[in-house]
Amino acid sequence: MTDGDGRSAWDSIGEPLAFPRSGLTVKNRIFRSSISGSFDSYDGTGGYARINWEEKFARGGVGAIISSFVPVARRGRILPSYAMIHDDSTIPFWGAVADRVHAHGCKFIIQLSHSGRQQDVPGVENRYRVALSSTSDMDTFHGLLCRSMTKGEIDEVVEQFGLAARRAQRAGLDGVETHSSHGYLINQFLSSGINDRTDEYGGPLENRARLLREIVRSIRAHTDGHFHLQCKISAVDYNNAIYPWEKKGNVLEDSVRVCQWLEEDGVDALHVSTGSIFPHPRSPAGDFPIDVASEVYGRMLYSGVRGGFNQRVFSARLGIAPRLFRWWWRRRRGPIIEGINAAHCAEIKAHVSIPVLLNGGIQRASLAARVIREGIADGVTIARPLIANNDLPKHWEAGLDQPPRPCTFCNKCLLNALANPLGCYELSRYAHDYDAMMDEVMSVFHPSPHEAANL
Amino acid sequence: MPLPRHPLPRWEMDPPTPVERHIRDRRRRRAFLAFLAVAALAMFVYWRYLADVPRDYTRVEDQFKYGSIGSEQGNGVPYWIWKVLPEMFPEHLPRNGLSGYEALGFVVERDAEGRPLHDTPVGFSRRRTVGRVELVGLNCASCHVSVYRGSESEEPRVTLGMPAHRLDLLSYFGFLIRCARDPRFTTDNLMAAIDRRASLDPIERLAYRSVAIPRTRERLLAVGGRAERLFEHPSGVGRIDTFTPYKLIQFGYRDPEKLRPGNTDLPSIWNQKIRGGMQLHWDGNNTSVHERNISAGIGAGASPTSIDLARLARIEAWLWTLPPPKWPEGWKFDAGLAERGAPIYRRYCADCHGLPEEDFQGRRVGTVVPIGEIGTDPERLKSYTVDFMNNQYSLGVDQDWRFHAFRKTGGYANQPLDGIWARAPYLHNGSVPTLRHLLSPAAERPGRFHVGDDVYDQDALGFSWERAGRGGVTFPEFDATRLGDSNAGHEGPAYGTDLPEADKAALLEYLKTL
Repeated sequence: MTDGDGRSAWDSIGEPLAFPRSGLTVKNRIFRSSISGSFDSYDGTGGYARINWEEKFARGGVGAIISSFVPVARRGRILPSYAMIHDDSTIPFWGAVADRVHAHGCKFIIQLSHSGRQQDVPGVENRYRVALSSTSDMDTFHGLLCRSMTKGEIDEVVEQFGLAARRAQRAGLDGVETHSSHGYLINQFLSSGINDRTDEYGGPLENRARLLREIVRSIRAHTDGHFHLQCKISAVDYNNAIYPWEKKGNVLEDSVRVCQWLEEDGVDALHVSTGSIFPHPRSPAGDFPIDVASEVYGRMLYSGVRGGFNQRVFSARLGIAPRLFRWWWRRRRGPIIEGINAAHCAEIKAHVSIPVLLNGGIQRASLAARVIREGIADGVTIARPLIANNDLPKHWEAGLDQPPRPCTFCNKCLLNALANPLGCYELSRYAHDYDAMMDEVMSVFHPSPHEAANL
Repeated sequence: MPLPRHPLPRWEMDPPTPVERHIRDRRRRRAFLAFLAVAALAMFVYWRYLADVPRDYTRVEDQFKYGSIGSEQGNGVPYWIWKVLPEMFPEHLPRNGLSGYEALGFVVERDAEGRPLHDTPVGFSRRRTVGRVELVGLNCASCHVSVYRGSESEEPRVTLGMPAHRLDLLSYFGFLIRCARDPRFTTDNLMAAIDRRASLDPIERLAYRSVAIPRTRERLLAVGGRAERLFEHPSGVGRIDTFTPYKLIQFGYRDPEKLRPGNTDLPSIWNQKIRGGMQLHWDGNNTSVHERNISAGIGAGASPTSIDLARLARIEAWLWTLPPPKWPEGWKFDAGLAERGAPIYRRYCADCHGLPEEDFQGRRVGTVVPIGEIGTDPERLKSYTVDFMNNQYSLGVDQDWRFHAFRKTGGYANQPLDGIWARAPYLHNGSVPTLRHLLSPAAERPGRFHVGDDVYDQDALGFSWERAGRGGVTFPEFDATRLGDSNAGHEGPAYGTDLPEADKAALLEYLKTL
């Protein structure tokens, strides 16, 4: 596949990306965006399946992997059985992940995260705790309860991010990314649609960005040299996507300003996404598989106080409510799926000089190449198309615009992750052979350590 | 982390989580709001569709004319049926030149342009019941409000407490019964007529269609069947048979011997205070004003359970001191002549009828004169029997007002003569058209005369009785030869019928002052 200059798409995509400040160099422009299933022990102790999981993508040829949502504290988890980095005891595990990924010439950037109020399943450890946030107003989608953090709690979280970064560096990882988008804790502070504080962490944008900038400083303070640090940002909040009477939240100008501050603060790169909740009609952009929702949403029934209502909507027998919901979800997304954030990303890119990564369902080589050539972003971060085809980069390198059995953006992977092992659940991609699909989904559990010992 | 202490010992082993607590509180909140909503709805439904709500009036005069005494539940007609019947069945009303309920002698209050001031004539009350159906019933004013004028050129004066001398109350029931018997009295026909006049809400419509109309018809037919005999001796204008309806409808009498007609003239009801302790009713069968009032309320259609004692009490208190009408200013009056009549009154009348300066109190006032002595028509006296009294005592057995003061007497009671000029015609059966005739021997009293005129004869003291009609309106004839309608009695030297004409003239002039 070539463009007018006779250059193939892979010429652009396959070009290494060097981050000038941190010195990190990624072999191509493809980043596995953060996505993860419940592969680990309940309490967040990393498991072998996660290592298998990450290796799939490294083997498939991506330049770098951005880890799953990795909580820096138990209170900041989104689901049980997600590997955490809240304690020094997690360092060997993350070291093991790094080793396996590095073996394929792939870099590993860990996404340091705190859920804030957006705790899909808090787990029994958090059963009697109300989540921490920039507000005491519940999340409006699931009715997740929360309370506004005290200054002491903010300081503690800032420290937790710094300590987690230090653990990442000691584990031999290649960098960290703050999960400051998608409605998680840092985004809850950034967003004018959520943050209702009246102290120095609320009100004007400078105040709302204070937590993120303190975290950046904390990470810098807890790491040596110039450890790679990038920040994931929701360029636009679209905070009122589901309930239109909500506040809109941050607009692009706000995010551009935040990104400029981050550049000033010495951040190495920016990762542009969208939305102040997750999932969001625009993130990950695609369908809302109501049938899967009705099966798995039960796990969230008592996470928030609106679980019962949502469950009734998703599982309504008459089918009008779920159909309306699905129609609304699609309508709020708009017509674009692939590269949905490109325009916002280009605007941010135009206002900063550090590398910028574009998130958002890119599956076609031509589109990825165009993003890079047109200076919209320096790299693309991909999750769902890579779940469908772990070897997507190899297809691209082989000159295909997209793999023979592409991702359909059905988002069944996304919703299944709530209760089932993560994988591609689009039956059409397996020629409607359910067992074949299950074999593929369960392949993440192999080899197990016992099998490996016998090999 | 120390867990919050459980507020109360409960079956749960663990205290509720924040989410469970929130959901529990929300559930309670919603249950409370749902309760409020249901309560509000229930109150709304109750108030709009179930409550028993009489129309009340601020002024006691209006309450008297249009307010409820509780007769609607017992004997009422749903308002819109009541409203359309005269339009649908005018042929069942008396043909006397008047239309609507006015043809039956009910008083319609009108403004200066002649437009009715109210939806109903005086004497009809309205009370809302189940299904938002308003019932129309009778009240005290039906029989105790009337009009008079000095000449055709005068405007009729509506006078409260005055005997309804133009009212044919029996014909009102006769009209309703004839309507119900008419094959055109169907739900569809009535609904069509009602829809032309009113826009009912759906529940009210349903109530009319499925309950009010069929039930009204059934009830009128049932009453009509039982009351058949009443119409054999119609009471006519200005009169009512007090006890026969009771006997027929409430007590189910069938023996003709016990159903003798007892038609009586409608009395005035002003100035009740002076009547306390007197023998009341024409035959003096009760000495309690309160019992007499309740009995009259039941006569107007209230049942022992529906009678509205609170509203009746308001009327009762007002009637206690309601003054009788004065002889109108400008009417013929010779003060000197009246002065000459005063001693004649004192000599001939005061012993039995009392003196105005003594508030008509006196040893014999309000006591019964034996029938052999007074000599007036005995039928009314006969119609009140011991058996009937006994039946009366069976009414309201569980009520505080249960009767205890009725007695069978042997004659007719003397009455105070306050406002006597406005109480024509005279004697208990209304058989004597004027006071002048009452002062004449029975043989000279007219055997036939017309009743229902509102023009007053200022010489004879009574309503004009010779004219068969006036201004297109005809007046029915009273026939003193019918059973119970004799004009005999209250005659002889002691009653002044032998007095010289000059003395009679003076006495009549004096009577204008009472």
